[in-house]
Amino acid sequence: MKEPFIRDFDPIDTFVTPWATAADAAWNGQIVLMGFLVCLSCGLVGAFIVVRRLALMGDAISHGILPGLALAFIVMQSRALLPMFFGACIAGLLCSACIEWLQRKSILKPDAALGLTFTSFFALGVLLISLHGSNAHIDPDCLLYGEIGLIPLAENLSIAGFEIGSRPLISMLAITILVILALTIFYRQLLVSSFDLTLAKTLGLRINLIHFGLMLLLALTIVSAFEAVGVILVVSMLIFPSVTAAFFFTRMPAILLCSIPLSVIYSFGGFFLARWLDCSIAGAMVLVAFLCFVCAWVIGSQGGLLQRAPYLRRAVAES
Amino acid sequence: MNAIYSNPIPVRGWSIPLVPFALGCIALFALPAHGEQIGGTNDGLLERSLRFLSLSDGSVRMVVMGTLLMGFGCGIMGGHIVTRRLSLFGDTLSHAVLPGVAVGFLWSQSKDSWAILIGATLAGFLGVALISMIRKTTRIRQDSALGLVLSGFYAFGICMLTRIQKMEFGNQSGIDKYLFGQVVGLSESDLWTMLLSCALILLLTVFLYKEMLVTGFDSDFARSIGLPVEFLQYLLWLLLAFSVITSLQVVGVVLVSALLVIPAATASLMTEKMDRLLFCSALLGCAAGVIGSFISFLGSHLPTGPLIVLVSAAFFLVTLLFHPRTGLLPQWLSSRDRDRRILRENTLKAAYQELEAMDFKQEIVPVSQLASRRRISMPQAYREVESLVTKKFVTIHSPPGDASPSLQPVMLSLTPKGWETACRIVRNHRLWELYLTNEARYAPDHVHEDAEKIEHVLGEETVRRIERILSNPRRDPHGKLIPSQQDIERGFVA
Amino acid sequence: MTDAPSPLEIHDLTVSYQRKPVLYGIDLVVGEGSLVGVIGPNGGGKSTLIKSIMGMIPHNGGWVKIFGKPPGKSCSRVGYVPQRESVDWDFPVSVLDVVLMGRYNHAGWFRRLGKKDRRIACECLEKVNMLPFADRQIGKLSGGQQQRVFLARALAQESDLYLMDEPFAGVDAVTEKAIIEVLRELKSQGKSLVVVHHDLSTAREYFDQLVLLNMRLIAVGKVEDTFTRDLLQKTYGGRLTIFTEVADQSAGIREYDKERRSVSSME
Repeated sequence: MKEPFIRDFDPIDTFVTPWATAADAAWNGQIVLMGFLVCLSCGLVGAFIVVRRLALMGDAISHGILPGLALAFIVMQSRALLPMFFGACIAGLLCSACIEWLQRKSILKPDAALGLTFTSFFALGVLLISLHGSNAHIDPDCLLYGEIGLIPLAENLSIAGFEIGSRPLISMLAITILVILALTIFYRQLLVSSFDLTLAKTLGLRINLIHFGLMLLLALTIVSAFEAVGVILVVSMLIFPSVTAAFFFTRMPAILLCSIPLSVIYSFGGFFLARWLDCSIAGAMVLVAFLCFVCAWVIGSQGGLLQRAPYLRRAVAES
Repeated sequence: MNAIYSNPIPVRGWSIPLVPFALGCIALFALPAHGEQIGGTNDGLLERSLRFLSLSDGSVRMVVMGTLLMGFGCGIMGGHIVTRRLSLFGDTLSHAVLPGVAVGFLWSQSKDSWAILIGATLAGFLGVALISMIRKTTRIRQDSALGLVLSGFYAFGICMLTRIQKMEFGNQSGIDKYLFGQVVGLSESDLWTMLLSCALILLLTVFLYKEMLVTGFDSDFARSIGLPVEFLQYLLWLLLAFSVITSLQVVGVVLVSALLVIPAATASLMTEKMDRLLFCSALLGCAAGVIGSFISFLGSHLPTGPLIVLVSAAFFLVTLLFHPRTGLLPQWLSSRDRDRRILRENTLKAAYQELEAMDFKQEIVPVSQLASRRRISMPQAYREVESLVTKKFVTIHSPPGDASPSLQPVMLSLTPKGWETACRIVRNHRLWELYLTNEARYAPDHVHEDAEKIEHVLGEETVRRIERILSNPRRDPHGKLIPSQQDIERGFVA
Repeated sequence: MTDAPSPLEIHDLTVSYQRKPVLYGIDLVVGEGSLVGVIGPNGGGKSTLIKSIMGMIPHNGGWVKIFGKPPGKSCSRVGYVPQRESVDWDFPVSVLDVVLMGRYNHAGWFRRLGKKDRRIACECLEKVNMLPFADRQIGKLSGGQQQRVFLARALAQESDLYLMDEPFAGVDAVTEKAIIEVLRELKSQGKSLVVVHHDLSTAREYFDQLVLLNMRLIAVGKVEDTFTRDLLQKTYGGRLTIFTEVADQSAGIREYDKERRSVSSME
């Protein structure tokens, strides 16, 4: 065994070499940009998901899209954009609808209904892919942790004969813009219905519609992000930014805006970390997010550990 | 009364399924096995089934053993987890152990089951400790805390695994099979770890049954009688970690939590008693394991893990829809039957009221009068009358002097059965109105609506009691006659 | 005059939660065969008192002795009836299973409960009129019925000191009467009961000693001595209207009771 598990840290190789040549810079730039867009869009949508205690519903939807993806691949025999989106969104929304139906109609507890449904959907998806996946060139491992490094390799999208960029990147950009627009336009409705459902009802807001809209946005974000980071790491991108920001800010606009610098940190940090350790880039991005979370947890000005130190000692003693 | 004095889990009862199970395990290991390759592609479906069921294939035996043990262990642990509303903890734990798997692999430089078990257990405990620390020191909610640890640890694990794959010895390790599971890669030491895990779980369930029961139901009370609630909780986590880790090989990271949740959820639909729930859950887990591996053996390119999950999901759906007590279909059918019964009873009541309006001098009621009293259209009235005819509550007559009987019946009279039911409903209605007016001091004009609902559900025993309380009254608040038992038995007398 | 230690002795008990004091300087002695009610405003620390006696909430001052020993050592002699919030009502246990939990102390670890335990459990259920429901799942009962089952569980423990946290909260009149009957019977057998109570109008009637608590001990003693206008005002924050309302209620409640009794006897 000649190679050590953790390689020696070479600053030049890690930080400088990626941008050395123009071709390399373009390649790596796309990767970092994709990462940034994924983190940003997931972070924005995730802020509302977290506040509505739907974090694990996000986990469920991200697994639930699998049978839809598989069917789209099998039927279209290719990784074409629209059928994939369509199939995955339908499957994701169907999964969340099933969960909510089970929670209402059966005597099952809510968490059991959730755990039961999305794993069944996922199993169905894996089965479908195993049966016919070889035709569509899907690598099952890619589903679980993505292959962001191959984004620049994906086929280019062309509109009116102009090649504008790799398809996943462009679709992610489009989704990010959609998310920003949707959250800006419906900000007040989302805010009220997230914090005070009764008030929202008395104000005449269409709560079910807002919920459905949010689920749709969530599904779209997950579908466009999964190719980069895989279905499980999408969940982390939904939760980490807003939870980290909440250690410093208490108001929602600030938390939402905080997603931007955090996304920059996650994407660049993850890229460099992966270069050093030679591991999955998506995994590295989440590791960076985790580290940021731990730092914020300790030093945060709104309920961080250091701030609560006298209480902390007592809390540990009481537990 | 004797039933109350009997034991909830008779030891004898448990031994009955366990003894053949244990014997079967020994037999599987002891009997000689053929060293045949699976995948003789020219075998037809029947041949493959026979080869599987005869358990003569060594690799088949391993697979069956592995899935049985996994189904058993996950079934019982799932029962504890689901009843304590910890279903999603199982999911979190299955993702959080991944870095531990990688560490165990690195440490032993090979796919040593015991090293992986230890490493993964440590990682799992670290994850659980982190979740409880987050809950205690921040305002982060439970689901977000679970999601954080789940994805954070998983990412750490993925980083390590992808790194290992790129190292020299890494890509032959099969370490990536932990993500989706690959049941044919089960080694004998894997089976031993599974057996140990199942044995520990069984010991916990049998010997610490009542301690687990009280800590799950009412932890404050458990603390008050001196039980070490935290220690028992950690014991539960430990065994959960064992069953998760030993199942990773078979079904992979994501689907382990399926096997923890689905059989137990199905069992919770079937029974309300903890001991039966655990038993059913284990049975369902085993059945799903064996059937799933059977189906995957029959075909090619059929992955075992997802099939096991889908089989258990099928069990769940069947139970959800068809279980006699909690199933959706029986409930729908019975509520439909109840609605129909109420409709019939309302029609009969209207017929009675029509007869009463004529002072019981006639025994024939025109359907048109029925329709107007019920305030419904004629076609609807005809439909109601038809259903009454089918159930033999009324007989229809054509109007006198009509030579050719018309297609639509226009008159009806009550059969004895119909009379009895009509009297009963009217009696219930008027008795209840009187009761509300006299004893509960309702205003007389407020009682009708309530009586309209209650009349259909008042049981005979309650009716007797009300009659006694009101001293067998003859008239209701509006002065109408309350049919007595003699009136009902006498039948309609004009 | 025996030298036996009192069932409950508290000296200078102080409890705080994240720097905020919740209880301070509580002194209390409870003798054998006493029925003690703890009353006071919400947030005054009544539940906290019970929980810190049981050792569930740590205290940072003073000590607690149960039959002369610290709380952890006399578990078997103390019966705790908690508020109903910590319970998972969907748990697959029947009424009988819950009452049998009161016998776990007597059975010890790893051992199954025997016929004697089941007999005692059934007798306790009989005392609270819940034996017909023995096989029903615990979540399928009304609030009053559930409270009676928890009382049966406490009876099954055969303890000498009972600590009850709002046993009358949310129960109907019939159940309330049934519960107070059982408590009085326990008292006549020489047991000691400390009961957190929320309803001023019945406090005077049910208990023979009262503890008036609002973060600190306002008064403790016989009902006649403690249930006075001045002390109640001090406990509840000095609002005259509260006391007059209570007095009116106490007067009116006797009329209301007669009517309720006639309706409830039909069930």
